[in-house]
Amino acid sequence: MSLLRVGSSVAIIALAVIWTVIVLAAESQWQVLAALVVAAVAIFAFSRMRAGRDLAFTLNDSGPSIIAIIPLAVLVVAFAIHQDHFQLMMLASVLIYGIACVGLTVQFGYAGVINFAGAAFFGIGGYTAAVLGSTGVPSLLTLLAGGLTAAMIGCIIILPVLRTKGHYAALITIAFGLLFRSFLEVNHTLGGPQGLKVEGASIAGRSLLNGIQLGTLEPSFYFNYVLLALAAFTLFFLLARNLEKSWIGLNLDAVREDTIGASVFGINVAAWRIFAFVAGNFLIGVAGALFAMMQNFIAPSNFTFSDSLLMLSIIVLGGIGNLWAVLPAAILVVVLPEKLQGIGEYRIFVFAILVVLVLRFRPAGLFPRSMRQFRREVGQ
Amino acid sequence: MAILFEYFFNGAVLGIMYALVAVGFTLFFGVLDVIKFSHGDVLTLGAFSGLVAFLALQLTGLDLPVIGLVIVLVAACIVTGLVGAAIGQFFVIPMRNSSAFNILLMTLMIGTAIREAIRLFYPTGANPKAFPALLPNSPVEIGGVFLRLDSLILLALGFAIVFLTHWLIRHTKLGLAIRAVAQDGDTAQVMGIPFKQTVLATFALGSMLAGIAGVMHGIYYSEINFGVGLLLGIIGFSAAVLGGLGSIWGAIIGGFAFAALQTIWVVLFPDASGYRDVFAFAAIIVAMTIFPTGIIAERYSERV
Amino acid sequence: MLLKAAVVGVALIASAVGAQAQSKETVKIAFIGPLSGGNSAAGVGGRNSAALAVNLRNDNPSSKYKYELVALDDECKPNVGIQVATRAATDRHIVAGVTHYCSAVAIAAVDVYHRFGMPAVVWGAILPAITYGNDYKEIHRVNGSMLDETAVATDFLTKQGYKKWVIVHDTTDYGNGLLKFFQEKIAKTDGQIIGTFGVGADQQDFSAELLKIKEAKPQIVVFAGLTPLGVRVRSQMERLGVNIQFAGVSGIMSTSYLEALGPTAEATIAFHNGAPAETLPGGKKFVDDYQKAAFKDPAEPYGPYAYVAADLIMSAIEKVGPDRKKVLDVLNATKGYPSIAGPITFDDHRNNSVASTKYVAQDGRWVRWEDSEYASGKRQIKIAKD
Repeated sequence: MSLLRVGSSVAIIALAVIWTVIVLAAESQWQVLAALVVAAVAIFAFSRMRAGRDLAFTLNDSGPSIIAIIPLAVLVVAFAIHQDHFQLMMLASVLIYGIACVGLTVQFGYAGVINFAGAAFFGIGGYTAAVLGSTGVPSLLTLLAGGLTAAMIGCIIILPVLRTKGHYAALITIAFGLLFRSFLEVNHTLGGPQGLKVEGASIAGRSLLNGIQLGTLEPSFYFNYVLLALAAFTLFFLLARNLEKSWIGLNLDAVREDTIGASVFGINVAAWRIFAFVAGNFLIGVAGALFAMMQNFIAPSNFTFSDSLLMLSIIVLGGIGNLWAVLPAAILVVVLPEKLQGIGEYRIFVFAILVVLVLRFRPAGLFPRSMRQFRREVGQ
Repeated sequence: MAILFEYFFNGAVLGIMYALVAVGFTLFFGVLDVIKFSHGDVLTLGAFSGLVAFLALQLTGLDLPVIGLVIVLVAACIVTGLVGAAIGQFFVIPMRNSSAFNILLMTLMIGTAIREAIRLFYPTGANPKAFPALLPNSPVEIGGVFLRLDSLILLALGFAIVFLTHWLIRHTKLGLAIRAVAQDGDTAQVMGIPFKQTVLATFALGSMLAGIAGVMHGIYYSEINFGVGLLLGIIGFSAAVLGGLGSIWGAIIGGFAFAALQTIWVVLFPDASGYRDVFAFAAIIVAMTIFPTGIIAERYSERV
Repeated sequence: MLLKAAVVGVALIASAVGAQAQSKETVKIAFIGPLSGGNSAAGVGGRNSAALAVNLRNDNPSSKYKYELVALDDECKPNVGIQVATRAATDRHIVAGVTHYCSAVAIAAVDVYHRFGMPAVVWGAILPAITYGNDYKEIHRVNGSMLDETAVATDFLTKQGYKKWVIVHDTTDYGNGLLKFFQEKIAKTDGQIIGTFGVGADQQDFSAELLKIKEAKPQIVVFAGLTPLGVRVRSQMERLGVNIQFAGVSGIMSTSYLEALGPTAEATIAFHNGAPAETLPGGKKFVDDYQKAAFKDPAEPYGPYAYVAADLIMSAIEKVGPDRKKVLDVLNATKGYPSIAGPITFDDHRNNSVASTKYVAQDGRWVRWEDSEYASGKRQIKIAKD
């Protein structure tokens, strides 16, 4: 029984990996569209079938070692496309957006704190990396600094975010995002609308721009960025998942679901909201710094309101609060428009309609979060 | 001194446009407790429909200045009203029980789709389009102050529309229905008020205001492009929230407050005029911290 | 060499049996420009022109390869440009690129082409640093730089009697670059710049800047930016009663500027590295072919250069085959290449210098200054005498 369950789960994940490789390597629009149709049918089918529920159960209720699936699956994909710069770059972008969306999940999925300024915190991380890049600070420290700066600047709007609720809180973050973008546009010390060049990452004195050699394989240098992003993603995923499973996650759930109830039970609502907001911004900042290093260039138009929407689309399409959905949804949102560029001018239009349809007909997202079920844990 | 008045006057025209957009947000929120973020792009759509109506009118060879303006406004209102109601009917009403956040994101994406559709399907829609001067644009000079007649007329038109809307809400049967639904949808339905029709009418009404604002924006800047809706939508939303969602007067105050913030900054620090939006949005954040539910607080809904 | 001979041989036999279209190897060339956004008119015109060059080459039975143009949209944003440039440069099937209209994008993307070794021929961006700010063998430019435009502009405008200038520039490297060269050039004349205003690329309202310009009372407002901003600045000048002569560089010289402004565009002076297409050496043919191809949108003034860039690349590929390194060597050594825009010669920084032309907007068209009614004295440009 259990073996069957594991078997079907492994099969689904294997299929997903193969699908990802095919989409990343697809050369014609029709391949991408066909892959999309297959994915839509598969997601629909698995959500109805036992195998889908088994997979969700396996992923959610196993111990932390289950997370090893992620590096395993991503490495398989990365090796399959190890020579192609662009495909690897997209894979790294998926992972980087994944890190940011883990941050958003902690904020919105767990604690219910709305953040429409994701791109701004992403940008703060990126600009930190740009400024520190030329000073010779080690890259890993720069990543950390990007996260810390984002978290610190985020503290400016903690008070307004705490005092306001719902749409009003949404406005605070929207206003902050616009303010940030507008400031970058007019402020010349940070490059203005032209943007800034960013030093690439280097680890232990080796620039990631030089490809590594693995036996007979000579992968693209973007392979290095995939590895770095993968390491960061896995680490933060593990932390976030443990957070969700811990008493902290329980408190955050309570704060989100019923604020008054939570405070009646002695939970410090404000403290937990601050915690989630700051922690989330840290993750988004780290992701931004990594993104800037990989792109070697950032400009204010990297960090527009639409980019914030893009990040939110990822967590909404995936299923709010479901960490496991972040990567599949990120693949959909980051890779799809790139792959559909053959339809050129129409790609944003098509993508917007796609998101609207998913939200309209599957509002809980493609992979809805399964909440904790205490009954099962105490033996039904 | 004269130049100061010119600043003030330009700020007032901006303010009335922001206010028209904000009133739409407030109406939608009133009846359904939702934020319909495609509003800004519906505005663009209105401006473009007005432009098409004008071009069609030109083809027929009629050249009537006043009638032309009326026809352009009517065309804009019809299109935006229909689109607004359609978005309500097919997207917002069926989803009104899902999370506010989902609706926010969905309508933002609908807005993106509208914006892109204009860009792609209007002939050379990606380029800025000349908007016809539908009003007499003779210069008016009063004591060294340079104004244009059409700017004055636009300001008056904006105020007339705002007062008309207020009258509609306060003194007509439709207005009564809107207010009843806003106060309590279920009870209103029990009292025999057709809930769905009222909501759709509200959506149409609010969207028409955006259409009018779009035409005003076109006339004022003599130009329209597919992207104007995004920022105007966000400013309108800010204004509505600043004034307090659900209150018409709040929306109007919010609209003028936003324009005032921008103008004051420019007058005080002319050398840093680029920072006016930074200042305006920072001021919004501070204001929201002091008044967490807007300057005119919501009366009927209580949120925790 | 043997292999190439074999390929040619196969191609010859194939053409003999009348099925040569299938047997030709397909070679991809990238086109990058703004296909969406406020500058898309120029981008689409460039894409069409490059596509025209490709189609003509494919129609020619003696060409050795079948060419395919991959058009990518940089949206005139540096960050998007980096993305699509990476996309093109990392695609092994793409041999070379006809790249960028917006200088702000081109200057950001040159590093990418260098890193991945993709030959790029700039068709519309005019910032000198794109070719002169580095020593990348990959970057070429056929359309000249803003050094040419600003020199002609300064000389012409000061001779017309405009001594007190205000410069409104966008704050990207493009606008800042133009500002710098105008400042340098005007310092050598008796004119002076009495004010400069940097404006954001997405700015909508210019009342603050324009009211200040109104107080400063310059004789001319010189605009150093692209069409979308230029349209807004010009139309708001009208609204605010800033009744001063308006001039710009090639960034505003597009049909969309004229269309968007209508009669307000009248008498705008502009400077462009391209001569009118009809007057170019091969211009007549270009205009005819372009018309025959029945593209929906006009070629725009930089269109001929996109055509030339694509043509230059394909000639190089014909010569040495679809190999980036070899194509690069051929392109680097270009001297006196006969093109529709006159002979193309790259200097030591692979830049082709061209002579700038003066234009004025007259009755909804860009007319060469010398041919205009303004030059003949029939109409007057505005000039305030002190």
